[in-house]
Amino acid sequence: MGISYTRISALIFLLLFVIYSYLAGEIKVFVFDENADFNARTFPKLISYLGIIVSFLTLVLSRGADDPLGKYEWLKVLVLFVLVFTYGIIIKLVGFFISTNLFLLVSYYYLGVRNYKVLLLCSIPVVAALQFMLHGLLDVYIRDPFLQLLGIIS
Amino acid sequence: MIEGIWIGINTAFSGYNIFMVMMGCFAGTIIGMLPGLGPMSAIALMIPITYGFDPASAMILMAGVYYGAIFGGSTSSILINAPGVAGTVSTSFDGYPMAKRGQAGKALAIAAYSSFSGGTIAAIFLLIAAPQLAKVSLSFQSADYFALMCVGLLSIAAFASKGQFLKAMVMTALGLALATVGQDSLSDITRFAFGNINLMDGISFVLLVMATFAMSEAFMIVFKKMEINFKASDASIDKLGSIKLSKEEVKEMVPVIGRTSVLGFLVGVLPGAGATIASFLAWGFERSIANVKDKLKFGNGSIKGLTAPETANNAACTGSFVPLLTLGIPGSGTTAVMLGALLSFGVQPGPRLYVEQPEIFWAVIVSMYIGNVVLLILNLPLIPYIARILAIPKNILVPLVLFFSVTGVYLISFNSFDIYFMAIVAFISLVLRTLNYPMPPLILGFILGGMLEKNLRRALLINDGSFSFLWERPISLALFILMILIVLLQIYQGIKKRKIK
Repeated sequence: MGISYTRISALIFLLLFVIYSYLAGEIKVFVFDENADFNARTFPKLISYLGIIVSFLTLVLSRGADDPLGKYEWLKVLVLFVLVFTYGIIIKLVGFFISTNLFLLVSYYYLGVRNYKVLLLCSIPVVAALQFMLHGLLDVYIRDPFLQLLGIIS
Repeated sequence: MIEGIWIGINTAFSGYNIFMVMMGCFAGTIIGMLPGLGPMSAIALMIPITYGFDPASAMILMAGVYYGAIFGGSTSSILINAPGVAGTVSTSFDGYPMAKRGQAGKALAIAAYSSFSGGTIAAIFLLIAAPQLAKVSLSFQSADYFALMCVGLLSIAAFASKGQFLKAMVMTALGLALATVGQDSLSDITRFAFGNINLMDGISFVLLVMATFAMSEAFMIVFKKMEINFKASDASIDKLGSIKLSKEEVKEMVPVIGRTSVLGFLVGVLPGAGATIASFLAWGFERSIANVKDKLKFGNGSIKGLTAPETANNAACTGSFVPLLTLGIPGSGTTAVMLGALLSFGVQPGPRLYVEQPEIFWAVIVSMYIGNVVLLILNLPLIPYIARILAIPKNILVPLVLFFSVTGVYLISFNSFDIYFMAIVAFISLVLRTLNYPMPPLILGFILGGMLEKNLRRALLINDGSFSFLWERPISLALFILMILIVLLQIYQGIKKRKIK
């Protein structure tokens, strides 16, 4: 039985469902519900049995090698992942307009856009239009200290 | 029923809802055209926008996006041989060779007419079949619903997993497990929240859909270095050629449309099958009944070969609304997303829907006719312009999709935790998709999880904790046998595949 990415992933799933099964047994239920035909533990327990069976079968029955994962652009995706994460942090601090424009500008630049006209045209008008649609037309409140400071939104 | 249809016509033909259909078809066409972004991503991106709408308008918009995305997918299949949607892969078999011969305009016109015909004919079937099935499903009890949902989960794992049944089942179990996070609906006991206040309400359905489809699709474009070799000038009217069809060509199309719209609708009604299987089946069916001379043309730019999958995939899209609207059980990943959206509006689809909320039930059906007309008269003349979307470079497209996904989720909760969680889920799903774990079973498992638990609880309590309800009630028994057959079929196919290897 050789090692493949599918087998490794199946093993991870198997472990996950074993842990899930244990945690399902640990769910605190009301005393009068302990021996009931159905309580808050029953369904998660059944799911864990299904998960354990199918991940075990995947582990045992999978054959053949997977595509090598090294040929893909891991670094670029990781950087984008970090950018999304950072966007999540700064959106609370500086508000929607500035954080979104920053996110878009940095992402475009990182992915190779160097034309400053394209950079600006694909960020500021897009964000402004969306914000106008949401805030102005659909009445969806978006907290934005920067635009509040400028007096654009109340 | 007549009264219901009348309410539906009034709702669907209001100026606002006609605008919704037009916007849905237009947005769906554009998003569906972009390689990698399918109808599920398109609908997921629409969900946050529809939060302020009434449920009927939201459903009309999403239905428009659905068939618009299928139509858009066929455009990229024909022009650049890169289907934006799995359901249009077989369109490229004959559509792309026609485009290479300089008949791209004609191929796009055939696709538009076929989609229109398939969608319209199937909408008539839906109009007849849905109320009948809704009446039958009134006799369903919790046990039958439980069995039916199990059939749905098993069949989507079997048919939508491209031969990866076990992996699809792992994803189903994972989706069901994720659905148990948060408060139990009956006892209010919090499960698997690990003391995190953000998880106490459960995982947001929009977050999961956005992360596993829209955001992970954007990551995938970068991850797999997808290149789109299409220039805006390729979409000029000169390069696309004429969109006019001759009488002989129309004659060739008509019988194919008749056959494949019925086939597509029936396949669409089956849980788990959907547009992809319908289009492949239709292409294969038409090829098998063609005469020797015509058979040779299939795969080399045959009109029949293009008409068949295009008719069938749109008919299947309409067909997939039958189980959603009448049983409250989605037949495909895309309708699962719609079910989630409906539930978030507080609308419970099912047999009572067409009695209690006829404006939603009938308006969606009636809007399908409007949508098909819109696709034909709006999109066909605009194809040379819409097709320029394909020339958007990926370094612009990816950040925009990421931005729309993040904004969509953030605007619902205004909680940064959702953005972090979404990014993590998107990254994990990117890795899982690379290892051929399909995502639609995960979404279906997640959406059906709550309903499955509720119906199992009722069935077990009525039956004193015994699972004998599965073989004591005729409907449950029939569904139980169907489940066994699906599993046996998968085992047989697995053994056969090993022997061939």
